Amino acid sequence: MAADTQISGLYGLLTEFESPSVLVQAAAQVRDAGYRNWDVHTPFPIHGMDEAMGIRGTQLPFVVLAGGLIGLGLATLMQWWMNAVDYPFVISGKPLFGIPANIPVMFELTVLFSAFAAFFGMWGLNGMPKWHHPLFANRRFLRATQDRFFIVIEARDPRFRLHETSAFLASLGGSEVEEVKESAED
Amino acid sequence: MAHHHVPSLEDTKTTLDGLGGKVFAVSAAVGVIGLVVSIGLGLAEGDDLRHFGYSYLVNFAFFLAIALGALFFLPIQYVTKASWIIVVRRLVEVMAASLPVLALLAVPVVVLAGRIYGWAAPEAGSDPLLAHKVAFLSPRWFTIRWAIYFGLWTWLSFTFWRRSLAQDATGDLRHTHKLENFSGFALLVYALSVSLAGMDLLMSVDYIWFSTIFGVYFWAGGLVSFFAVLTLVTMGLQKTGRLTHIVSPEHFHDYGKLMFAFTFFWAYIAFSQYMLYWYANIPEETGWYLLRSGQGWGKVGMVVLFAAFLLPFAGLISRYAKRNRKMLAFWAAWIVVAQWINLYWVVMPEYSHDFVFSPMDVTLFFGIGGTWLAAITRLAMGRSLVPMKDPRLDDSLRFENA
Repeated sequence: MAADTQISGLYGLLTEFESPSVLVQAAAQVRDAGYRNWDVHTPFPIHGMDEAMGIRGTQLPFVVLAGGLIGLGLATLMQWWMNAVDYPFVISGKPLFGIPANIPVMFELTVLFSAFAAFFGMWGLNGMPKWHHPLFANRRFLRATQDRFFIVIEARDPRFRLHETSAFLASLGGSEVEEVKESAED
Repeated sequence: MAHHHVPSLEDTKTTLDGLGGKVFAVSAAVGVIGLVVSIGLGLAEGDDLRHFGYSYLVNFAFFLAIALGALFFLPIQYVTKASWIIVVRRLVEVMAASLPVLALLAVPVVVLAGRIYGWAAPEAGSDPLLAHKVAFLSPRWFTIRWAIYFGLWTWLSFTFWRRSLAQDATGDLRHTHKLENFSGFALLVYALSVSLAGMDLLMSVDYIWFSTIFGVYFWAGGLVSFFAVLTLVTMGLQKTGRLTHIVSPEHFHDYGKLMFAFTFFWAYIAFSQYMLYWYANIPEETGWYLLRSGQGWGKVGMVVLFAAFLLPFAGLISRYAKRNRKMLAFWAAWIVVAQWINLYWVVMPEYSHDFVFSPMDVTLFFGIGGTWLAAITRLAMGRSLVPMKDPRLDDSLRFENA
């Protein structure tokens, strides 16, 4: 069994569908079979796919909130340091550290850091940037941006067993199951 | 899910039926009793209805702003060709179509202008700061302007109302196209009239003070209350078995997003106004804020800051809160109260430099609010609560947030 679960150089198993409706049903079956490291690839977004795949809510909002709070804190600290400590200078009788005057910068840095957190947080959670992906070497997969729909179960999934998973995928109503290698040189 | 059942109008009740008569009777009674009691309380003050006038202004401005929020939301939906809103658009149309009734309720403000507005008081003539403004701020012009505002708003709201009802009968697509073309123009008329009306109604209470952004401040606050009221009205109808299934958590999620976004927008405008005056520190500009941050009113100002901005902002920020019915209802009710306090803080310091609160403020809320609710109920009675033959209704029923 050990050899069966850790086939060196295998990225995963791929199967191809011709219609989105079959794909949604197949995805629900993969979800119910308990797989975790798998994905579907489609040329366009499909309504109801999130649910069919059992995708849980993203953690990104918390990353964004943290980014925003850091921006807010930095803006406050920066203005306090510049205006009230490092170079105190009274302008038209205003307090050295007057909150109303600082709010625009606090607001802008909150927005900026939130945007950065959202953008780069999305990268991080999606495992980006990547130079290459094993699926790119697959010829059939080229049509994922045109008119074909794919399900890929990765070999690192804890439930992955080459023969069983292959048989399971074959039962979903797609095309023949194909092995995808980690790197094209193999 | 893509393959789940798309709700249809047959799944639920889409008319008021018996409920309409009951709500109308109760709200009309509350409105009339509220107004009569308020006049009694006002006369009992023995100040020639001066306090009454200010209290009336707060409550009138509050409900007017909500109806104007509805009148803004309609053309925005048409110019963007939005489909999610269709299933509840009739409720928005009804609120906007109530504007002629608010024109009647505006009469006391115009009649009592001499007691409310410093510029209309007999002794104001000698103030040199008013000399340059009398051409605009004169009782006659004030009356004419309000006639024009309500004329325009009635015309706009009835155009949407009539065509939408006509489409119910025939399903004619031309109504949708006409309204889409009309809406860009409607928004222009709306923006100019509401901006000026906000200044007339609330800013001119202190005729020395001026703020070019004030119209936006008035409008944005009303829009927040409007979204909150729309949320509560939809939930109320669903409680009685109407509009169930067809108005889904997806629609409420959007209500929540709009409430959240415009809460922030309102605060952004409020702060933009405040910061410039704080920074420039010119006496005739800061006077308005000085009065509202000293003595009893400073505390009310802090209540406005927290209740109308910081707390609902934190409360509505998460997706969970927007999709949770109870939390959304809580924040909608909260926002309505907070925006009322905001208007109270804008108007009342001009009546008394010390904090005041009287039973009249509450009885007038029910007096004007009851009358308004009676009006929108009367408009909705005998009609479908959903624009049944709108071409985008099906999209609206299927609507899902990404």
